[in-house]
Amino acid sequence: MLWWLRIFAGLVLVGGVVGLALAPFIGKSLFVELWGVEPLSYLGGLLVVAALGGTTLTYYLPRLLGRDKAEVDTDQQTAEKWGQLTQQYFELFNHDLGRPLRRILGKERELRLLLQSSESELYPEVKGLLDEIESQTPSFRLMMSNIQVMVQLEAPNLPIKIQPVEPTELIRRIVDRYSLLASEAHKEITWWSEPTEFGLIYCDGSAIEHIVTNLVDNTVRFATEHVEIKLTKNLTDFFVRVWDDGPGIPPHYAQHIFDRGWTPEVARSEEKTSSGLGLFIAHTLAKKYGGDLTLESISAPEPDHHTTFLLSLPLNGNATALESS
Amino acid sequence: MPNAKGLEKIIIVDDEWESPIVTAVRRRLDEEGWHTLVIVPEAGGSIGDEFEASALYAIEEELPVGVLLDIRLGEYREDQFKGLEILQKIVEQHPKLPVLMFTQYAQGPDRERAVRGSLKWDAPVDFIDKLASPDEVVLRLRRLIGRTPEIIPIGGDLYLDANAKAVYVKRGEDSVIVDDIHGMKFEIIRELAATWYRSPGELVPFSRLERYSEGEEARASLRVRIREIKVSLGRALGVAFGAGDLIINVRDQGYRLVPPKT
Ligand SMILES: Nc1ncnc2c1ncn2[C@@H]1O[C@H](COP(=O)(O)OP(=O)(O)OP(=O)(O)O)[C@@H](O)[C@H]1O
Ligand SMILES: [Mg+2]
Repeated sequence: MLWWLRIFAGLVLVGGVVGLALAPFIGKSLFVELWGVEPLSYLGGLLVVAALGGTTLTYYLPRLLGRDKAEVDTDQQTAEKWGQLTQQYFELFNHDLGRPLRRILGKERELRLLLQSSESELYPEVKGLLDEIESQTPSFRLMMSNIQVMVQLEAPNLPIKIQPVEPTELIRRIVDRYSLLASEAHKEITWWSEPTEFGLIYCDGSAIEHIVTNLVDNTVRFATEHVEIKLTKNLTDFFVRVWDDGPGIPPHYAQHIFDRGWTPEVARSEEKTSSGLGLFIAHTLAKKYGGDLTLESISAPEPDHHTTFLLSLPLNGNATALESS
Repeated sequence: MPNAKGLEKIIIVDDEWESPIVTAVRRRLDEEGWHTLVIVPEAGGSIGDEFEASALYAIEEELPVGVLLDIRLGEYREDQFKGLEILQKIVEQHPKLPVLMFTQYAQGPDRERAVRGSLKWDAPVDFIDKLASPDEVVLRLRRLIGRTPEIIPIGGDLYLDANAKAVYVKRGEDSVIVDDIHGMKFEIIRELAATWYRSPGELVPFSRLERYSEGEEARASLRVRIREIKVSLGRALGVAFGAGDLIINVRDQGYRLVPPKT
């Protein structure tokens, strides 16, 4: 294509030069009677300029267009590099930062067993303290992944990863992680799905896991006795409802609940006891995948006080995710 | 209580096999009735290769029901993902053997997905992070191995024996059969206990329980049977179970076992 343009421009150039050369000889005699001017030299000049201009353009245009493409390429490369770099840091973080934690936990579990088997009368007293140490692990795991997701959400052109996911197994794993902790605190987590054979959905499994883990982590702290998790779907969406019989969230707090870094202590100008990132991240992720996260709550002292978070996400994450990106 | 698992073996391949965190998991697996074997690499040569050779040999020799395999075997860079190489070999040689991989938490779903992508979709391979509690590891292994044992504990003092079709209560060294739990009532408690065993918080829906009750009012007769089970087991333990104990009900949904705390 470019070469044809260049050959054509070459022919025009030759024509222009020929016109200029002939102008003194035939220009006057041919045209002067017609218009009273000598047009051939103008015409020749025009053709030469056009041909030179055209040729130049054939060289510069692709470079102009090409620059855009190259810029897009580097954007993607930057995103990829960013992803790899943060991933590397997290691995470093985890292995090295996790080491002391693994040691602490290991010792705690050893101590627990020792006390338990020695049937020491100290055990009931010490057990509470040990439970407290143990309960820091899910918090640590959640914090690690919350920070990881936060960093990823900041990345340019974050890719959306859709894969087939078995939502029941996903919930099962979250319950595995929290049920012992809950039962130590005399709370019960119960979950079910409707229909019982739920089947596969297409979504980013780690995003759903992340959202629901944050919701369950909160309920285990706030529930009085019961937590219920229910998985349902209709033709287009699936829903995870996380309910607890805790004190509830009063309306004037509810409006801030998804704000980044918000906790009730912030509203009361007190020192924060938790980071207030969980619901912000959960909400951001739900929106990003074309779904939503909403709150319904009745707060104490109403007798039927409770908190319900409802996560909805499209069953076929693929279509929505592509549309919105 | 008779040993729940007979002589089922689990092989543990982990470079930190002496660390308290692995010891705690190991102890929990032993408590569960599995017989744990820890792979200890012989000195000399690369640690990663030693682990590989010893692990594959042990699998041939011991015929375990499952393997617990760390992704990272040693501090050297080349051993950072040695566990994955070993996994590939195990899957090639023993495609049916359940393998639970120990990962570092932030190693993330990406790598897990990559590994999964290279395996057959039904390969019995799963991943769990190293900070998981021993109980979480046990639950994951129970599901991965997939078999429900003949003996299922229901809290510290009761257990169900599927062979004898009866529930027993421990009295010192002995066990005494709990009266009145047979037929449909036994089937109901077995169904609840089997689900609890694999997935503690999971509700057993009415649809699965109603076949163990008859008549027009299937749900009502189910309710009566559940109440009778609670009374029988309560009597055996010398307690009175309330609505929120032992077997809890979620309205219009189903029932779930909550083993009594001891
Ligand atoms: N189920 C609930 N019942 C009552 N209050 C809740 C519930 N879930 C969240 N909250 C309130 O909302 C606040 C914000 O929750 P969010 O999960 O965003 O942060 P956090 O739990 O404080 O910290 P993080 O999740 O980052 O560790 C909590 O501090 C808590 O006061
Ligand atoms: Mg939270």
